[in-house]
Amino acid sequence: MRMMRAIKQGQWAILLWPYLLTTSIPLDCRDEQGGLSRCPSISQEKLLDRVIQHAELIYRVSEESCSLFEEMFIPFPLQLQRNQAGYPCITKALPIPSSKSEIQQISDKWLLHSVLMLVQSWIEPLVYLQTTLNRYDGVPDMLLNKTKWVSDKLMSLEQGVVVLIKKMLDEGLMTTTYSEQGLFQDDGQPEMLEYVMRDYTLLSCFKKDAHKMEILLKLLKCRQNDIHSCA
Amino acid sequence: MYPGPTSPVNRLHKSVSSVRSSGSRQWTQHGQNTEGETESFCQLKARLCGATMKKVLEVILLLLLLVVTHAKGTRYSPPGKPALTRCRSPEKETFTCWWEPGSDGGLPTTYALYYRKESSDTVFECPDYRTAGENSCFFNKNDTSIWVNYNITVVATNALGRTFSDPVDIDVVYIVKPNPPEQVAVTVMEDKGWPFIRVSWEPPHKADTRSGWITLIYEIRVKLEEENDWEMHLAGQQKMFNIFSLRSGGKYLVQVRCKPDHGYWSEWSPSSYVKVPDYFHREKSVWILITVFCAFIFLILTWLLHMNSRSLKHFLLPPVPGPKIKGFDKQLLKNGKSEEVFSALVATDFPPKSSNYEDLLVEYLEVYIPEEQELMLEKSMDLDVGCLKCEGSASDSDSGRGSCDSHTLLMHKCDGVKEEEERQAKEARRHQKDWKEEASTYAHVDVSPDMSSGRVKTWPSVFSPLPRYTSNQQGSLEMAKQHYLSDSLFPTSSTSSYHTQPGHGTTEAHGPGYWECGLSNKQPHLLHPQAQAQRQLQARSDDNISSIGRKQTPAGLHSPARRSTEYVEVERVNEEDMVLLQPVSGRCGDVEGYPEMPYGEDYSKVKGVDMDNMLLLQREVREETENCDTSSTVTTTQKPAACIHSAMPVEGEMVLGVNGYVDTATVCTPPTY
Repeated sequence: MRMMRAIKQGQWAILLWPYLLTTSIPLDCRDEQGGLSRCPSISQEKLLDRVIQHAELIYRVSEESCSLFEEMFIPFPLQLQRNQAGYPCITKALPIPSSKSEIQQISDKWLLHSVLMLVQSWIEPLVYLQTTLNRYDGVPDMLLNKTKWVSDKLMSLEQGVVVLIKKMLDEGLMTTTYSEQGLFQDDGQPEMLEYVMRDYTLLSCFKKDAHKMEILLKLLKCRQNDIHSCA
Repeated sequence: MYPGPTSPVNRLHKSVSSVRSSGSRQWTQHGQNTEGETESFCQLKARLCGATMKKVLEVILLLLLLVVTHAKGTRYSPPGKPALTRCRSPEKETFTCWWEPGSDGGLPTTYALYYRKESSDTVFECPDYRTAGENSCFFNKNDTSIWVNYNITVVATNALGRTFSDPVDIDVVYIVKPNPPEQVAVTVMEDKGWPFIRVSWEPPHKADTRSGWITLIYEIRVKLEEENDWEMHLAGQQKMFNIFSLRSGGKYLVQVRCKPDHGYWSEWSPSSYVKVPDYFHREKSVWILITVFCAFIFLILTWLLHMNSRSLKHFLLPPVPGPKIKGFDKQLLKNGKSEEVFSALVATDFPPKSSNYEDLLVEYLEVYIPEEQELMLEKSMDLDVGCLKCEGSASDSDSGRGSCDSHTLLMHKCDGVKEEEERQAKEARRHQKDWKEEASTYAHVDVSPDMSSGRVKTWPSVFSPLPRYTSNQQGSLEMAKQHYLSDSLFPTSSTSSYHTQPGHGTTEAHGPGYWECGLSNKQPHLLHPQAQAQRQLQARSDDNISSIGRKQTPAGLHSPARRSTEYVEVERVNEEDMVLLQPVSGRCGDVEGYPEMPYGEDYSKVKGVDMDNMLLLQREVREETENCDTSSTVTTTQKPAACIHSAMPVEGEMVLGVNGYVDTATVCTPPTY
């Protein structure tokens, strides 16, 4: 059943591949070329601030979702052993250093790219998470709303980061293409502890990555100029 | 595994085993020496026994030792389970973990912290047990990785064992608790006379906010020194804050703390004290001035109001006109005793009693009646006088009507006051005689004194200056106690000197002989009893009058249409309270035109009043046959209103006579009831 749905989604993605590209291009206001402007332009500082606000909100909501899930579905003894289930975070492979000194040595470019990578790698799992959460018994609506909200906001964050990259780095990038399909498979019964733990791990990892995004962006912001110093 | 401590039991076991082994060796050696064995058998036996005995002894010792150790065993045990209480990172670069040791089992216990990072299985031990104090582990920057889960366990080890604590997973980014803010500076500043406190601080020096690694938000709390309630203010990411609404002269405590955007609140900074100087607010002084000024104006207004309270009262609440009734006592009314009030009214002049009533009236008029008329008078006197019944007690309550409504002039069918009639008749006769004697050219209206009261009763309207009685009349007054005003008709050919004048011919139609009503008390009224009055009376009691009047009056007198009136006009009242009447020199037939004016002192005497309320005037005998009986009749009614003539209603025509007086016929308009 879920396989069928996934296949369907994949088919749609394949068929509408060009449209996906076009629709997910960020609102790039072409006012520099004097042509039609679809939206008013925004300064870089304001854009960065807005992106940071997005990241902060996403982190806050994901934190709430994670604690909600933990209260409802995770038995108490396992709550402290987050990684005991053996499910690594999906973004484990991403080359983001874990010490402050190293992080502060990353260039702006890499900071932005790291953020973009993080964002893009989480769009799809969140969509998947929504579907899995729906299958739980007694799942509160608030949890579902929050995950839905986070998923939406993440996409707009992605757009913002892309614009930012274009402004700051003068690079044009593509947005998510829904290419990664094979990571998750809908199989098994959701109520088994294993899957519960898997979902829990997913939420925790996302929470952490949201925090990463926020910190990286803030580091980027405080590097910009002394007028907007963060001291 | 782990080398355990050697126990004395082991040594005992070793010794026992060595004994056994030695015992067996000895046994084999004993087997080879059989030649001279008989005697060593006993020695062997003895050795065996000794070995056994040793064994038993050791066992016993062992047991004893065990018992002893068991008896003392509560002091020694493996350590209790430690517990990690918390791990905190002040700046997201290092962190420290603290644990709580369990029981140590009575033996020296050591604690060790082991951790494992999430991605590897390598177990590391805590690098630094000292920096953070007792029972703590400090991870420095090199050992700290963020966004990495640490699995931390604490192990307690003592001689008897080791105990593991529950593992704890932490991620450094979630355990950040910064140090309190530093360099908290509090100053008092002023803003347009209002003081305020400006608090400024710095982030803790360890926290790296400059690079954006940590974002801190701050919170301030303030309280007065002597109070217990803190006032909290959230300051966000700024490092400066203003506090307003301070109490003058108060001493305040200020504290600041901070928190990373996701983490724990720091401890409060040490209190900073600040004293707000005393200030007198300028606005307050202005308000005080305004208040004083208003109070002053208010006082002035109150004083003015008080001074003009009466006129103000009159302005706002116009006084209700009170009753101006003679004899009406307002105070009694206010007191609420109505009986007294009305009795007061009644008591005095209202309605006037008979005694007072008499005052209103001319007691009598001396009328001279010629002889031939006297008889008729006498005849008719009964009736006339009877008709002149004084009903004053009941009738006249209005002094103004006295002239008209005197009881002597009552027009009513008299019944049965015979005595008075007779008395009056007698007196009339007497007076006639007197008048004859006197032959005075004037008629003075006698006022019969009320002996008791000694007052002259007159009509105040007519005889307004006459409430006093004159000495002249004293004598005659005494004689007549009649209560009527002899306002009688003048018999036709009476020789009375009273001449009545028709006030004007035109008033024939009106009632004859009306005494001028007391409309104006200020002037002496001119009486002009008119013949018409007589005619009125005649009209009423034709029977009575006819005998008298027919002769006297022309035929015209019968019919009111063609009546000739002869009036007596009261010219004036002299200072002796005498009504000076003037005969109206006239022809009785004169109905038109103005009557002739008598000039000089030509007065008519009123002879008397006959029963028809006719004023009998004395006049000279004239050649005229016709008798202008002048009479003035006034009919009185019960009502103390204007003059009422029952016979002849008077139209309200004010006709001024030639003499300048008002014909009473016109004046005394009957009230329309």
